[in-house]
Amino acid sequence: MKSIIQILLVISLSLLSAFSIYAEEKISGAEVINNNCARCHNARAVHEFSIPEWKVIMPHMREKAHLTGKETQAVLEFLELTSQSVPLAQKIAPEKIIAPDGKQLFTQFGCQGCHSLKGDGGTVGPALDETIKNKGIGFFIKKLQNPQFNNSSSPMPKMPLNEQQIKAIAEYIKS
Amino acid sequence: MLKLLPFAIATAVASGQLLANEQQNNSRFALAGYGDVKYEDSKLMDTSAFSARFVPIFLFSLSDKMHIEAETEISVDENGETEIELEYADIHYFLSDTTTFTAGKFLLPFGQYGPNQHPSWINRSAFSPGIYGGLGGHGGYQPMQGLLPVMSDIGVGIQHIIPLGKNQKIFFDVYMTNGLAAEAPHDDEEDAHDDEPVLDEHEEEVVDEHAEEEEEHEEVDAHAWELPELAFEATSADNNSNKAFGGRIAYAFLPGIEVGASYYTAKYDEKLGFTATGFDINWIGNHYIVRGEFIKTETDSFEEDEHEENKVITFDRNGWYLQATFMAGKMFNVLQGTDFVVEYAETNKINEAERWAYGINYWLDSRAVIKATYEDTTVQDGEDDKRFAIQYSYGF
Ligand code: HEC
Ligand code: HEC
Repeated sequence: MKSIIQILLVISLSLLSAFSIYAEEKISGAEVINNNCARCHNARAVHEFSIPEWKVIMPHMREKAHLTGKETQAVLEFLELTSQSVPLAQKIAPEKIIAPDGKQLFTQFGCQGCHSLKGDGGTVGPALDETIKNKGIGFFIKKLQNPQFNNSSSPMPKMPLNEQQIKAIAEYIKS
Repeated sequence: MLKLLPFAIATAVASGQLLANEQQNNSRFALAGYGDVKYEDSKLMDTSAFSARFVPIFLFSLSDKMHIEAETEISVDENGETEIELEYADIHYFLSDTTTFTAGKFLLPFGQYGPNQHPSWINRSAFSPGIYGGLGGHGGYQPMQGLLPVMSDIGVGIQHIIPLGKNQKIFFDVYMTNGLAAEAPHDDEEDAHDDEPVLDEHEEEVVDEHAEEEEEHEEVDAHAWELPELAFEATSADNNSNKAFGGRIAYAFLPGIEVGASYYTAKYDEKLGFTATGFDINWIGNHYIVRGEFIKTETDSFEEDEHEENKVITFDRNGWYLQATFMAGKMFNVLQGTDFVVEYAETNKINEAERWAYGINYWLDSRAVIKATYEDTTVQDGEDDKRFAIQYSYGF
């Protein structure tokens, strides 16, 4: 009897979910990390595991964290993006080598998934509005080149960005 | 059977590594897990000792839809014997974007501590919350008699997720497993039934006396008033054809809050049942984490009335804990990596006790931590205890 009730519950909830309004927008992997990966444990550093390992670990976390398949995929794509080597990053936007577009990089690397800017964005990292003003551009560049340099437990991934691109992001943040 | 486990592990690791080497881009195996070393000093037990554990996790991706996970816990007990426990070994089948089917031995989704927070690199305290443990398995001995152990059992389960926009979700888990048996009876027990409790694989560390659930009992003795002791360890047999059922429904407002309600019910004897109801909260802020659970249990037992007839009586217990972690390192640069933890727990109605715990944690990086926790337990009808532990734990 109880199991029948349970089955009915599953069915009704599935129906409910079919009608739930889940905007079919592109899911940001950084945002999924921001929203989920510090809930149970400290967010683990990307460089701890290789991408092939992450591909086997993420389904484990999908079940634990109750992620959807799409969210799991978005996290993996983001991890892959951040673990590319620096020169590869230039290939992503070859036309931007001369003048990297800070705004585009800011979006591409999901900074706002974890940080807020002008009051909008994620919360695992601090708001970025005042960082450069308070800590200087030197700190900003160093932080992006090696996020763990001043904080060994930082979950911020090391991005494949060269100095020029980092400066472009800084310009965008300041503007 | 257990003797084969190390061999199985070695084979799994070896073959996994071979595979990993073969296919650089799409490996199907990953080795993860955690380990810890703990120094514990207890006033009541009048002991101080080091203990260590190694808990490897084997993960396999068979396809986009199929994923296998297995965790074994290897530790050394007080007598110097190596204990190997199969924590879980199950297969997930991702039926759809939002629905997952699980079969095997898995951690039951009851509350938060059992399925999500008990690994020592995740738990912010060197001890398990007061309402868990003391029932064998994780937590081991503790002066406060817990309400539930970390539950892991054999069966099937379904998980369903309902995303409500970007930041809200409803989690839904149901499962059916082999369920409970009464703890193995004492030798002096007469006329055992065929369907009497299955023998437990290993000794329980529970402090209180075993209770009697015999139907034809000569006299009403004090024992009949004690809480029946249940064996939560999963076995591949079920002592009765009644399965255990349970589930959890939770609402998450991401990234900050998750609240859940859990239910578990099982028959541990023809006429005797056990149910647990729980509510949990996990609240994550920028500088703090607040975790808490309330659990209520109902355990049936036989009692003889004036006419020497057996009637079923139910023991009610409840308890809760609340743990607050202040991540000071996120506020003050000089304290980087430092957490301060305060926890309060109490159990009510039977074996009443309360406990305060205070801790300081130092994170070496995001998955390695040194925890120092001091605990002060007041037991209503029993001896109080003070404990202190330092634990070094690492996830890998
Ligand atoms: C609901 C709780 C929960 C959430 C949310 C969660 N994890 Fe975990 N995570 C765990 C637990 C529990 C373990 C330890 C595994 C075990 O002991 O079974 C773990 C372990 C890990 C490990 C170590 C490897 C392994 O599989 O054991 C990595 C890496 C990891 N998590 C990454 C993540 C990422 C990335 C996210 C965000 C998508 C995430 N976790 C979200 C509970 C969670
Ligand atoms: C997965 C989440 C995540 C992403 C994505 C991320 N960060 Fe971070 N970041 C963090 C966290 C968490 C911290 C705070 C901990 C620390 O000090 O490292 C941080 C810290 C910082 C800091 C130092 C702030 C301070 O005041 O000390 C800067 C600057 C920064 N991030 C810039 C960026 C930029 C620019 C990007 C995009 C290219 C980015 N982050 C992407 C998580 C993230």
